[in-house]
Amino acid sequence: MKYSIRSLQDIGEVKANLKAMLTSAKSPEQTLEMLDKIGLEPFVTEEGDLLVRIWTIAAEDFIPREEAAIIRTKRAASEQSDHLDWLSKNLAVIRGQYAGEWIAVYEGAVIDHAPALPELLDRISQFDRPLITFIPAEPVTWTFTYAQ
Amino acid sequence: MPNKNFEQVVRFYELQPVPAGPSIWLPLVDVTLITTAGSRINLPLLFDTGASVTTLRAEFYSILGLQSWDQGQKVQTSTAGGVKDVYQYVATLEVFGKTITCPIQLNDQLPSNPLFVGLLGRDTVFNEFGFGFWERTHELYVTGNP
Repeated sequence: MKYSIRSLQDIGEVKANLKAMLTSAKSPEQTLEMLDKIGLEPFVTEEGDLLVRIWTIAAEDFIPREEAAIIRTKRAASEQSDHLDWLSKNLAVIRGQYAGEWIAVYEGAVIDHAPALPELLDRISQFDRPLITFIPAEPVTWTFTYAQ
Repeated sequence: MPNKNFEQVVRFYELQPVPAGPSIWLPLVDVTLITTAGSRINLPLLFDTGASVTTLRAEFYSILGLQSWDQGQKVQTSTAGGVKDVYQYVATLEVFGKTITCPIQLNDQLPSNPLFVGLLGRDTVFNEFGFGFWERTHELYVTGNP
C-alpha cells in the first residue's frame, strides 16, 4: 500500500549550511565548538577525520503519533536484544574477565571497561546507546524479592 | 470496554547461573537514559511491578548531572533489606518506544547483578502503557495505547 509524506524537508540545504560553517571556522577547535553548539555531535577519528552525526527532520508527520511507539520499538528491538542476549549468553566469561568493573557492550562485544562509571562513560562518548552494566566481583544471588 | 490488545511482546532473558544447571528467566527491559549532556546510554532494568519508582544504582549520579548521589529529595523506601534512605531526581527515559520524563531514585544499597543496574518501576512510566505478564511463556506484553 502506498502512503504519502506530507512535508519532505530539503536535506541538501543542511549539507550546504554545514559546508559553509566548516570553511568559516578559524581553527579545528573552533569548528568543533561550532558543531557542539548546534548539536551536531562531532567526532575526530584516530586518522584525523571529522565525523558529524546529523539528525534532521526529513519528513514531518511521517506516521501517525500513535504508531510511532510501535515502529520505534520494532526498529530498536533487534539491536537491544542483541546487547542483552549477548551479555546473558556470555556472562560466565564476562564475569571472569571484568569482575568488579563497569562494562560497555556494543554490537556483540565489550568495547570498554573501567572500575568507575564516569571514567567509562568519558571513553565511550562516541557510541550511540551502548549497554552499560556493572559486573560484580562477589557471588550473585539470582533469586530475590524486591519491593518498594 | 477498554481495548486490551498488545502491540509489543518483550521476552524474558535466560541464563544458567551454574553450567548445565536450571535456567533462570528474568523480565529485563533495555531502557535508554538520555543524559544531561544529551547523549544516550542503554541500561538493563528489571521489570518490577513492586517498585513504586524507577530505581538506579547510586553510581549513576554523574550522568544525571549531579555532584553526589545523595543531594536530591530524601525518600524512605522499604526494600528487602529493610527501610532505606534513597534520593529522588527527575530523568528522561526512552521505554518501549516512548520518551518519558519521570522520577528516578538512586539507591546505594541495590544488590549487584550483572544483568541489570536498576528496577523499572511504576511511577509515571507505567501510566503510559498497559502490560500483560505471562510467566509460563516468559513473555511480557505491552501496549502503548492503554
